[in-house]
Amino acid sequence: MPLLDEQQNTKQYWRSLDQLADKPAFQDWMSREFPAAASELPTNVSRRRWLQLMGAALSLGGIAGCRWEAEEFAPFTIRPQNRAPGEKQFFATSWELSGVARPLTATSIDGRPIKIEGNTQHPATSGGTSAFDQAMILSLYDPDRRTRATEQVRNDTVERSWEDFDKTFSRRIKTHAGQDGRGLAILCESSSSETRSWLRDRIAERFGDAIWCEVDGATDAGVEQAFGQRLRTHFDFNEARIIACFDSDPLGAHPDSMRLIRDWADRREPNGDWMNRLYSFESHLSLTGSNADHRCPVKSGDIADIVARLETLVTAKLNGESIDRGKGKVDQVLAALADDLANHKGQSLLTAGPQQSAEVHARIHRLNETLGNHSKTIVFTEIPKTDAADLAELIDAMDNKRVETLLILDVNAAYGLAESTPFREAMTRVPFAVHAGLYNDETAALCRWHVPMAHPLESWSDGRSFDGTISLSQPLISPLFAGRTQSELLSSFVNARKTDAAELVRSALTKQRPEFKNEKSWRRLIHDGFIPNSARQPITAKLVSELDKQLPLGRLPRSAGDEQLEVVISSGSSTYDGRFANNAWLQETPDAISKLTWDNAAAMSPATAKQLGVTHGDVIQLAANNGHVDLPVFELPGVALNSIQLAQGYGRTAAGHVGGLVSEGIEPIGVDVSALQSDEGLLVTGVTVTKTGRRHQLATTQDHFAIDTVGLEAIGARVGELIRTGTLSEYEQHPDFASHRGPHHPPLESLWEEPTYEGHAWGMSIDLNRCIGCTACSVACQSENNVPIVGKEQVLAGREMHWLRMDRYFAGDQEDPEVAHQPVACHHCETAPCEQVCPVAATVHSDEGLNDMVYNRCIGTRYCANNCPYKVRRFNFLDYNAPLEEPKNELVQLVLNPEVTVRSRGVMEKCTYCVQRIQSTKIDAKNNRRSIDDGEIQTACQQACPAQAIVFGDLNDPNSAVAKAHADDRAYGMLAELNTKPRTKYLAKIRNPHPWLANRDSGHSATEVH
Amino acid sequence: MAATSTWLKHVPSLLEQAETQSAIADRIMFHFPLWTNQLAKLTLGIVPAVFGYAGWILMTATAPETTHLGYAPEQPVPFSHKLHAGMLKMDCRYCHNTVEVTAHAAIPPTQTCINCHSPSDGNGAVALTAIHSKSPKLAEVHNSWANDTPVLWKRVHDLPDFVNFNHSAHVSRGVSCVSCHGRVDQMEVVSQVKTLSMASCLECHRNPAPHLRPVDSVTDMEWVPPKSSSEIGELVRDHWNIKANQNCSTCHY
Repeated sequence: MPLLDEQQNTKQYWRSLDQLADKPAFQDWMSREFPAAASELPTNVSRRRWLQLMGAALSLGGIAGCRWEAEEFAPFTIRPQNRAPGEKQFFATSWELSGVARPLTATSIDGRPIKIEGNTQHPATSGGTSAFDQAMILSLYDPDRRTRATEQVRNDTVERSWEDFDKTFSRRIKTHAGQDGRGLAILCESSSSETRSWLRDRIAERFGDAIWCEVDGATDAGVEQAFGQRLRTHFDFNEARIIACFDSDPLGAHPDSMRLIRDWADRREPNGDWMNRLYSFESHLSLTGSNADHRCPVKSGDIADIVARLETLVTAKLNGESIDRGKGKVDQVLAALADDLANHKGQSLLTAGPQQSAEVHARIHRLNETLGNHSKTIVFTEIPKTDAADLAELIDAMDNKRVETLLILDVNAAYGLAESTPFREAMTRVPFAVHAGLYNDETAALCRWHVPMAHPLESWSDGRSFDGTISLSQPLISPLFAGRTQSELLSSFVNARKTDAAELVRSALTKQRPEFKNEKSWRRLIHDGFIPNSARQPITAKLVSELDKQLPLGRLPRSAGDEQLEVVISSGSSTYDGRFANNAWLQETPDAISKLTWDNAAAMSPATAKQLGVTHGDVIQLAANNGHVDLPVFELPGVALNSIQLAQGYGRTAAGHVGGLVSEGIEPIGVDVSALQSDEGLLVTGVTVTKTGRRHQLATTQDHFAIDTVGLEAIGARVGELIRTGTLSEYEQHPDFASHRGPHHPPLESLWEEPTYEGHAWGMSIDLNRCIGCTACSVACQSENNVPIVGKEQVLAGREMHWLRMDRYFAGDQEDPEVAHQPVACHHCETAPCEQVCPVAATVHSDEGLNDMVYNRCIGTRYCANNCPYKVRRFNFLDYNAPLEEPKNELVQLVLNPEVTVRSRGVMEKCTYCVQRIQSTKIDAKNNRRSIDDGEIQTACQQACPAQAIVFGDLNDPNSAVAKAHADDRAYGMLAELNTKPRTKYLAKIRNPHPWLANRDSGHSATEVH
Repeated sequence: MAATSTWLKHVPSLLEQAETQSAIADRIMFHFPLWTNQLAKLTLGIVPAVFGYAGWILMTATAPETTHLGYAPEQPVPFSHKLHAGMLKMDCRYCHNTVEVTAHAAIPPTQTCINCHSPSDGNGAVALTAIHSKSPKLAEVHNSWANDTPVLWKRVHDLPDFVNFNHSAHVSRGVSCVSCHGRVDQMEVVSQVKTLSMASCLECHRNPAPHLRPVDSVTDMEWVPPKSSSEIGELVRDHWNIKANQNCSTCHY
């Protein structure tokens, strides 16, 4: 029963290809009352045996269990100022990711950081956080962190102290100082820290001939070609009415994405002055592409030609010529884009992604210049000159035995880079290498010394956010394992006297800003976390005159034939470049598009898979650039034909007990794809594919919790009611279109007397027009609410525990689908189906409208989960927190939020609307005899959301933001026809297609049921 | 339906095959074997055993040892609340100074003790107002002060981890310390005087008025209501608009 065939010309949302094709596997999945293996019990113990054991344990242990362990208080000798036991404290700080500082507010209880939020005061982000920001706190408590300095003596690893290291290292430094630094090399990541650049200058004075090598420098060759200088490009999505992305993902993998998401979302307000229009041409389905009004899946190798064609079209349009509206989809969209661009001079913005060549970037810059966008929607700032060597130069020096002492500052060069293999070989020629880092990673294994480094939450440091604002990083806890910061390590080169990191940072910043000599200004900086008005000033840049000669207008030869396969490598949504591979929160967070957890795969469109004769889960071998990798196929709609997308950062062999540790027999997660990479970059051509005949199980969450109120056949039709979309013109004609997208039903009547709410009535609204599906909310929820990690096997069994899941729906053509994201958590229904079936009243309604879940009453019948139409209840099939009680994992317990109960086996749990935050605000307000302000209580998901899609508040207050949102024309309740009266309402998604293409993309919702 | 009708179709043929109806009945009917009669006798023994076991569980679960009633562990410092809070009339908040603003009524840092009990130095000289500067009873406090190590006090009142209790919410609305902790000012060694069970919480949350008093008297151990306690409690309740919640999520989250 192929759903699409029946309703050929109508928009139809579906969840995954299996569902669309109605494959047996999906039918099997849907026909089960509970997901597969839900009745499984711990391995090696039969069910009967287990019940016997449990019975015995209860009768014998029951009485002993009534007494709890005696606790002791350990009060301070002198309690620090402003510190009250068990109370939250907030500190403004920041951390650097690939040379860009990301502002944070860290929450600390009793001296241990437990939660990360954004810094709402900081000009660079307005308070949003990404999943990486949210999850970085877990790595602070990672039991795999190196705890001690070690030295490799022959084949033995000997534990050493910092004194041992200092003695040995200072001796070597002295030798090199005598030789003007010859033989010394330092390998580090690029950084925007003033402290580090100040230290580097000092080092350069004393060690003139030393090699300073930086990796991951955000070099933009296209800018250099276009403007003849190094510049950083800043986008202003607040001003850009037309945004065109060419293989570019500004809402996803951009270092400035927090600001861009916010500005973009602000301009998606259908009632605002104007609504932006987003075009995307890309090979892989990125977050930005999934939110585009018009998206064309095209091979990355064809982007250059598309840009050249656009240039021609725009030039023609600007010269007043009429342009052909085109025939194929790409031509049509290009024509519409050219029309839009010509009509919005100075109000548009074009951008190309890291997979594209310098030439494409230069063309984009020229086009932006032609359209008058520069210094309007796009500004440039200077990037300070650096003469740092790149990794290839360092490897060359190492090969020629010009490096005797190498200090590596938390760079994992032996993994995941095109240069990794030569680097590993070159390391054998370095007699004395020191690795300073958080983990004993692949690179550390090649070094003689390993010294522990401090985590960003343990460090004094500074850095510049993307806009250049100087941001301070302060420690929330003293280094757990006596790790040192980068600046502390580097300071050993410049002077013998001991300097601690705080002094180093302060003196470096004081060099720039003398006011920090003043204690008050310095305290102010520590409080705020950034220096106001320290953003870099925009400069005007002029295109180089010979650019037109270098890049003539007109069509380009396409880089490869249509039939040729290409591989596009992008950074992993969970692992980044591999540095977060050991972070289980991120590993378990489903990818925003593929919903894949705990793995990477070769994502390709169904048509590509068909051509190759492979299906989802088949392991194929990809070969290019003299390297090859074996990866499972992931059939993902929306990937360009003959393009294969791979995620970086997997296949770590020495990441740790989560990400893979081959030395202890722990298999790596996913596959390292760097073997395919060349110096050319992230776009790999000339790829060959061979089948291996093997199969691999991919743990995706996309089919889990499928809502089947009336069975499989209705799902497809119903999805359009769950997520309601329309176009801007539809909205303008019928502002309340969303309420008509639901099924028609007779007036609803309740079987019960419905409660009334006198005090507060908490409610939530989620604006699907703002939500981009980035999953930061999901990780924030995990962090706030002690949501356990379950692992790949449990995800395969449908037992992931995320209270907030991000649904992703496809609509239309498999090869070119429309995508919509929808976060779903407990709706706190007024007439909640779960409450009606619980035999022990473990889930009941509070008189503020919350659907309370009482863990200590729950006996685990799971009736509630069965009766929940939203499938948002999560059951602890196993004791997922048991590993935390193992001695080696005790450290991880520190990440738990002490205000939220840690659930045990056999207990149901679900979103509570962050009731702990509601209660603490209520108590504080009452203690201070004041009322609660609207917006004062923020749920964790709401606070993390960079797009501000989530609003929470009191529905009884007609002036509250949430009450207004519920009264909005676009508001609708999911499955409201079941008379559940959900407290969470969605605001329908509005697309803004070009009028020329409006009919093509917007087919009036077929899902309307008459 | 399909399965049922197939089944019905087969029943007549089954009947045909059978010689007599009773033969079929013999074949398909289940007779309890004789030995099962023993089970009935066994039940006579099992039922009292089950009731006995249940009763034992109930008694043990509500026994004072289980509810910690009267629990009075020996503390590392023989600190007397009777002396300090009773005879010297020190306010509770002198030491438990966070009680009005935070969830916990913090155990004081050593510094609080040292305010009065600073140790004598090597020459026997003491700070201005030091009391009992050489007392061996204060050795732990002085050790803590000298070595910057905590005094490890034993926790007396310990709620389960799935309960959230906030002192400030109660104290700032007129619930006295006495309500849960009893007359600490008369205790030489602090002991638990209330069960601190959910029932004791609910008792007050269902009818808070008798347990309320003017907020400025919450730490007054000897306070007696000028009128009847529920009358003044009702005044306090109406004044602060106190609605003691009985929602699960008031305490459990």
